[in-house]
Amino acid sequence: MAVTEAAPALAGVLAALGRAGFEEAEAYVKSGRSRRLALGPGGPLAAFAHERGWAVRASGRRASFAAAGTGFLPPRGPWPEPDGEPFRLPDPVPSEPWSAPEDLDAPLIGEAEGLRLLESLGQALAAELPGARLIEAVLEDGAADHTLASSRGVEARWRSRLAALRVEGAAPSGRGRDPVTAGLRLAEREARRFHPPALARRLADRLAIAAAGAEIEGDRAELLLAPAVAARLLAGLAPLLVGPEAAALAAELRDRRGRVASAAVTAIDDGRLPGGALAAPCDGEGVPTRAVALIEEGEYRQPLLAWHQARGPGAVASGCSRRPSWRDLPSPGPTHLYLRPRRGVAAGSLLAGLARGYYLLDAAGAGSFDPAADRFELPVCGFAVNGGRAVAPVSRAVLAGGIGALLRGVQAVARDLAFLPLDGMIGSPSLLVTGLALHPAGPDPEDG
Amino acid sequence: MPTSQLDRAAVSRTLSQIAERPGDLADAFFERVEEVELPGGGGPGVRARREEGLAVRLVRGGRTWLASRDEISAAAFADAVRRVARALPTASYSEPRLPVAPWEGAPAAPELAAFPSAVARAVRDLRIAFPLALTVRRHRRWLQVVAGPLVPDPEREEFYSVAAELPWGRFGALLPRLDDGAAVMVAATLAERFRARQAAPPERFRGVVVLGPAAAAVLLHEAVAHTLEADVLAASGDPESAVGVRLGPETLSVLDDPGSAPEGVRRTTDDEGRAVRRRWLLQSGEVRQPLADARWALASEVLLPGAGRRGGRHDPPGPRSTHLELAPGEHDDDELLAGAEGGLWADEAERGSLDPLTGSFRLDLPLARRIRGGGAADPVGRCRLSGRVAELLASVAGIGRAARPAGAGWCAKGGQKLPVWATCPALRLEGVEVTPWR
Repeated sequence: MAVTEAAPALAGVLAALGRAGFEEAEAYVKSGRSRRLALGPGGPLAAFAHERGWAVRASGRRASFAAAGTGFLPPRGPWPEPDGEPFRLPDPVPSEPWSAPEDLDAPLIGEAEGLRLLESLGQALAAELPGARLIEAVLEDGAADHTLASSRGVEARWRSRLAALRVEGAAPSGRGRDPVTAGLRLAEREARRFHPPALARRLADRLAIAAAGAEIEGDRAELLLAPAVAARLLAGLAPLLVGPEAAALAAELRDRRGRVASAAVTAIDDGRLPGGALAAPCDGEGVPTRAVALIEEGEYRQPLLAWHQARGPGAVASGCSRRPSWRDLPSPGPTHLYLRPRRGVAAGSLLAGLARGYYLLDAAGAGSFDPAADRFELPVCGFAVNGGRAVAPVSRAVLAGGIGALLRGVQAVARDLAFLPLDGMIGSPSLLVTGLALHPAGPDPEDG
Repeated sequence: MPTSQLDRAAVSRTLSQIAERPGDLADAFFERVEEVELPGGGGPGVRARREEGLAVRLVRGGRTWLASRDEISAAAFADAVRRVARALPTASYSEPRLPVAPWEGAPAAPELAAFPSAVARAVRDLRIAFPLALTVRRHRRWLQVVAGPLVPDPEREEFYSVAAELPWGRFGALLPRLDDGAAVMVAATLAERFRARQAAPPERFRGVVVLGPAAAAVLLHEAVAHTLEADVLAASGDPESAVGVRLGPETLSVLDDPGSAPEGVRRTTDDEGRAVRRRWLLQSGEVRQPLADARWALASEVLLPGAGRRGGRHDPPGPRSTHLELAPGEHDDDELLAGAEGGLWADEAERGSLDPLTGSFRLDLPLARRIRGGGAADPVGRCRLSGRVAELLASVAGIGRAARPAGAGWCAKGGQKLPVWATCPALRLEGVEVTPWR
């Protein structure tokens, strides 16, 4: 059943559930195709998957149920015995006009084309850094159609497209030590946007730093955080930005002027970000997506809230209920959460202005974030900088400090916004930051 | 079995059409999965998921083609065959009869509802109290693999998982069944976590660590099973060359035996339809037989299939362990703890990880107890045991005599989430490094 044919089936299920006494009912159908291409120890893999699933949830006055399955939406279930708490569903909301991105219609990457992309990445890596090699590279390119309808009159259809690339490389350390490894995880709407030479350079940089990077003494110099580091930090700040409890946590970080961050910081979540990998007209409950400023020039505006979380004056909801699969219930979270870049400011100019400090290129792990204790730690790697020039690679370092200090310490923002696939697409430009400490990692090279 | 009416002979004949070259491997995988979940806190109520589908695979000359569908039907099978076929991709293939029994009634798992209460009672019996929202799931899977003219019987798995988010950490476990014994075990583990919730991590030290059966199982899963998977070995060399390498002391023997896994998850064939075997990974400290699937065994005279597992139809099979056993030693717990003043006793491990390239290994312990006066005394907080696999296994200084099922959990290597089981005694390690884990 194509999704365009799914709407009558959804209507039939909703009608049947209504007759059975379920006042609130929602049916969702997702149909998708994906191609996975991989290089690794097991040899080349070319996989093609055709997925089709549905989800139904319904609530009467006393109880509710949720069910999901593959194949055709069954018109009469059978449904599980309702024993959950009653719930209600969102009402239809008028949506701003939406133009589907043109590349939604691009064909999936072909088998030969995709494998060539991965092989060329491996060749480019070996050319960039002698002795370096790919351990594993996996490219997934998928497209899906979604249809959703509810007893409250929500009717939504949208399409999605996402390509994900995961590569891991290794290189000799050159000092009789173990080989070093580094990886990249990226997502774009279309696989053809991945540029193997650029990615190989990036991976080679990480490997070269890991191989040659020296440990540092503790230091509190100025820091230039590349987008990969800044985006990891932003992802760690999600408890301050997402959900009904976020505002109270953020309030603890306010300074005397009531600001939680420097005036250079504006944080936005936008489910329909133009060019965004996850851009869609509505969220997983059919609620229209939109841009929401969470922090604006240092002032905390509001957390990201789903329709059922927005209560009280000034709390504005947005379509932010994510539904990664038909297997998952909708759950609020960021879609494209990012720090607003500053036009005209090149990262290179921020680097050139760094008299003595560090240019941190990448995170070497997830890190730990404790908003209640106002502390964070993130393992990082990069370069020591002197007079605006990188003078020595640095690895096995940990960026640490207070979360409030991080937000207030942002001195400048560059224009080079880039997103990482973390919990949603999380993006940041390069940030010039003061007030944080860099200290050596512990004895475990994989710490963090 | 829902797949008992599949025309397996016809499927086999169709597969033989695409496996037209010597050395080709072609198989078909039919799967039905049901998961019923009772979320913690009781609010959302039961959630049910039912899915079924198929996959067709061709392996030729070291390359793999896989096509999968969320549907079991003749047309879906023929389409998947067309997608993996190399010689005549546009040819039409026969559409064998693939009737699948309908699902039986509405999804339900009434046994789930009683378990959180049983755990809460068992916690109360320990004279402690804390808020607990335990999510309980029942997992069922039916499999049929067709990989040649001799078609194995279908396989069925059923087990349970529990999970809780606690203020002092995340807890999860796999259980073959939900009975009073399971409730008492879960309660005891949660109680240990509760009692150690404010304990400070130990200072960094090198010394004796005695791992209880559950923690020993996680260590062996990472340090022995993952290390000896053919694809992991291949990341740094030739998997065959591992055979005969000494990895541990003579007292250390570890095997993978899916046929002796707990009832409900016991297997006679793997996810590629090959007979499972009682596979000695380490025998008297030496590598005997790495874990291999059909694809790795195809290109080797040394590696044996039977350890092929897959997270589902959309994933390719890979070599993985199912049920690890550590051969019991000669020591009582008292003996394992003797002379280890100031060391640690760790009954539980939260997770482990292995860097296949360097052999670096770590085991994260949510809590442990100081060994004082020959017994487990005051608790310490989160800490990490790390080192090289070879060094860590060489540090095994004693093995308990009482093996028990323990340490079952989810393994997520390569993004494929699989249940793994173990039967282990306690294990004494000497001269290992422990660092605080924050």
